[in-house]
Amino acid sequence: MKHVVRLTVNGAEHDLLVRSEETLLETLRDRLHLYGAREGCGVSVCGACTVLVNGEPVSSCIQLTRLVDGGSVETVEGMASPDGTLHPLQEAFLEHGALQCAFCTPGILLTAKAILERDRDIPEEELHDLLSGNLCRCTGYEKIRQALRAVRARL
Amino acid sequence: MPLTVVGTSVPIAHGIEKVNGSLTYTINLELPGMAHVKILRSPYPHARLVRVDAGRAERLRGVAAVLTRDDLLRWDIDPYYGPMVRDQPIVAIDKVVYAGEPVAAVAADDLQTAEQALDLIEVEYEPLPYVLDPIEAMRDDAPIIHERLREHSTGFEDVKSVHWGVGRNVCSYSRVRRGDVEQGFREADLIVEGEYRTPVQQHCALEPHAAVARVRDDGAIECYTSTQNPSIVRDGIAGIFKLPLSKVRVMAPYLGAGYGAKTYLKAEPITCALAKKLRGRWVKLVLTREEVFLTVTRHAAIVRMRTGFRKDGTITAREATAWFDAGAAADVGPRTAKNGGYSMCGPYRIPNVKFDTYNVYTNKVPSGAFRGFGVAQVSWAYEQQMDEAARRLGLDPLEIRRRNIARDGDRFSTGQVFEGVAFSECLEAVARELGWDRPKPAPRGTKSYGRGLAVTVKSSITPSMSSAMVKMDEDGSIEVLTSSVDMGQGCETALAQIAAEALSLPLERVKFYPPDTDVTPYDQGTQSSRCTFTVGTAVGRAAAEVREQLLRLASEQLEARVEDLYLEGGHVVVRGAPERRISYEDLIRRKYHMRVGTLVGRGELKTEGGLDRETGQGIASAWWLQGAVGAEVEVDTETGAVRVLRLVGAANAGKAINPLLVEGQIEGAMGQALALTLYEEMVFEGGQVANPNFLDYRLPTVVEAPSELRAVIIEKPHPVHPYGAIGCGESVVPPTAPAIANAIADACGARVISPPITPEKILRSIREGRPV
Repeated sequence: MKHVVRLTVNGAEHDLLVRSEETLLETLRDRLHLYGAREGCGVSVCGACTVLVNGEPVSSCIQLTRLVDGGSVETVEGMASPDGTLHPLQEAFLEHGALQCAFCTPGILLTAKAILERDRDIPEEELHDLLSGNLCRCTGYEKIRQALRAVRARL
Repeated sequence: MPLTVVGTSVPIAHGIEKVNGSLTYTINLELPGMAHVKILRSPYPHARLVRVDAGRAERLRGVAAVLTRDDLLRWDIDPYYGPMVRDQPIVAIDKVVYAGEPVAAVAADDLQTAEQALDLIEVEYEPLPYVLDPIEAMRDDAPIIHERLREHSTGFEDVKSVHWGVGRNVCSYSRVRRGDVEQGFREADLIVEGEYRTPVQQHCALEPHAAVARVRDDGAIECYTSTQNPSIVRDGIAGIFKLPLSKVRVMAPYLGAGYGAKTYLKAEPITCALAKKLRGRWVKLVLTREEVFLTVTRHAAIVRMRTGFRKDGTITAREATAWFDAGAAADVGPRTAKNGGYSMCGPYRIPNVKFDTYNVYTNKVPSGAFRGFGVAQVSWAYEQQMDEAARRLGLDPLEIRRRNIARDGDRFSTGQVFEGVAFSECLEAVARELGWDRPKPAPRGTKSYGRGLAVTVKSSITPSMSSAMVKMDEDGSIEVLTSSVDMGQGCETALAQIAAEALSLPLERVKFYPPDTDVTPYDQGTQSSRCTFTVGTAVGRAAAEVREQLLRLASEQLEARVEDLYLEGGHVVVRGAPERRISYEDLIRRKYHMRVGTLVGRGELKTEGGLDRETGQGIASAWWLQGAVGAEVEVDTETGAVRVLRLVGAANAGKAINPLLVEGQIEGAMGQALALTLYEEMVFEGGQVANPNFLDYRLPTVVEAPSELRAVIIEKPHPVHPYGAIGCGESVVPPTAPAIANAIADACGARVISPPITPEKILRSIREGRPV
């Protein structure tokens, strides 16, 4: 069975015909060719598939697209400004070497963005708690922490 | 001339694509008319394959083809592959040897159809007894897993010293004999004995294995794949399908990490076989996380070690036996076991050694290359023994290591003389950074604090070979062509820096060409931390060839001797007369009298070595990975909970081409090794993997990371590399686990000899007063 769904993705409206069991991750990658969200585990633990739905971090790998009909989705592709200026988080990650293979990076950037936009001065321990849904296997998290510390002043 | 690019922390290449999500991983590839693959896998760890009937699946609408053993037997191919022993069939043929082994594969118009088709494939198994432990697998009554051992026809030179098939289910065996251990033990005042086990664990690279392939009308194969070894994959596919290398093209986009999981043939054989069945149509395979757990693991190992110490802590002898668990296929295991085996001496002076190392088949997922490569499994043993000896002799753990540490002129277990090594510098650096001399925190309530050290040595594949080309365009820009694969470690960045420095060009004028075996020259693989050293040297030599051509052209055009010329900022300049200079662009234009032309340089490095089959003596490594780690932990003696508070790692980088990236490697290696030490274990029940997913196989998050994770870069250069650099991506993996174990023992006396170090094991060790 197929469903008609309207999604606003990074500010652009899309009318899509999706399968019942289709996940938001499949819709974003296979229909809209937005590859920033990717599947790392398929069970919403690793966070590589994280996108923001109505401002909240969501594991798109288990999110049914038809259940976010009418919603607003933000992916990493929408983080930089239209003229290409990187978001301060993106810049901070590059400057501090807070990424290696970068498979986890979009998910971490979006989650951090959502948290810090809501509360720029959130205590580090709480920030880390809220980032515990985003795994990184390459960096050991050290430079990610340093980038997050440094970026607060620029937000 | 002072370095301008090498040694600076330039931003990682393709940084913008990495942060805006547009970096191309293999999983992103969409090619016209692509078919999607799903694999049917054996639920049995060992069984005869009685019947495989894909008829109903083939007739399902949307299914393009189903691959079974019938195809493999029908075609003129060699359906078995493996880098050292050809013991892996593309899909199972007469039997299955591990739960998860591919039995059939479907290519369909979409994944849902492919998934449905799996249920329609009829398979009949006749279960056989199975064995999961390598020591048990060697017993006379153990089931035989591979009736016949087939060697690879183009074997790697370094593996020629192993013995094949010595004993029941023994894939390979290697040994080291040096000095007289019995005499050494007679001279000892203390003998420390123990058994140390490492479980089956998984790399957990976040990007799963993926391959996209097509077979053209002329039979040529094109394959995009997330591999660390494009050249070797090409050779492997050509070997299976009996094609000349020129008819196989392997391209490696960026990898979402590898850590060794993506070495040698993995997703490619099935994908190419299905592509062969669907002549002309692209076929794409992406493994699920569960399937990644069923594809390759880190070798489990059992090490029994006996070390003799004098009263003053110096080691007189070491005798050890190691059993590496190959799983159901050899993969690179013969090398893992050999290298882990001879590394049992550690970075210490031990005149008398007797090592026996077995690489044994079991009915489990095949083990393969994993960052640390057998050394972590043995350093887990020897670095805990050092602390045990220190405790019993009343010596400080740092002091006992100082009294044994190997320096230039000392010998490795294979008799090879160490040159340019910095084991001592690494050890002292972590001791200093950890504050070894300062008192550790006092216990608070049920919380105790402890510190631990470890220092290790690892070899890198020797002999090995890498080649590179540098192509200069008519405007003086260059392309660097190598088959090195960037998986986040930053080899593209570092190699570009080397080429830029060698040719005095700004980085904007240097392009790193993505690995493509049609174009990029042979490289033995992005593994063994070898890229910076081996490929870096090849790139340096290729750039030097281009430099020679530029100097000769300039010598003519500027009417100066070659000896009086140097390169600076994209120009050739006359020494002492800097106004007499000419740009590369002008040099080339004047050569051809128009704006046309190309200069090409090529370079290579082939390292030499080899070991005696009986004594294991000889050259093991062209260069060494040297690393040390210091750990500070908090243990709650009531609950057994451990928190790693501080981890400091030091590695010799020779010369850090890009210090920020080198730090990333050291920090990341410790982070990964910390996870392996405290949290990870693949559990087998009834021969099946019980936890092949991230819900049950838990990786640490940012919350569990130590509050202090620090990298110290040591620079003691190597003479071969143009800038003295050596690799260090793996250097601090082996010392991390024992440093943590030693810190835990220091905190509360608990000694755990098998990771993961869980609270339960700590409490049991405290209660029972013995190693657990």
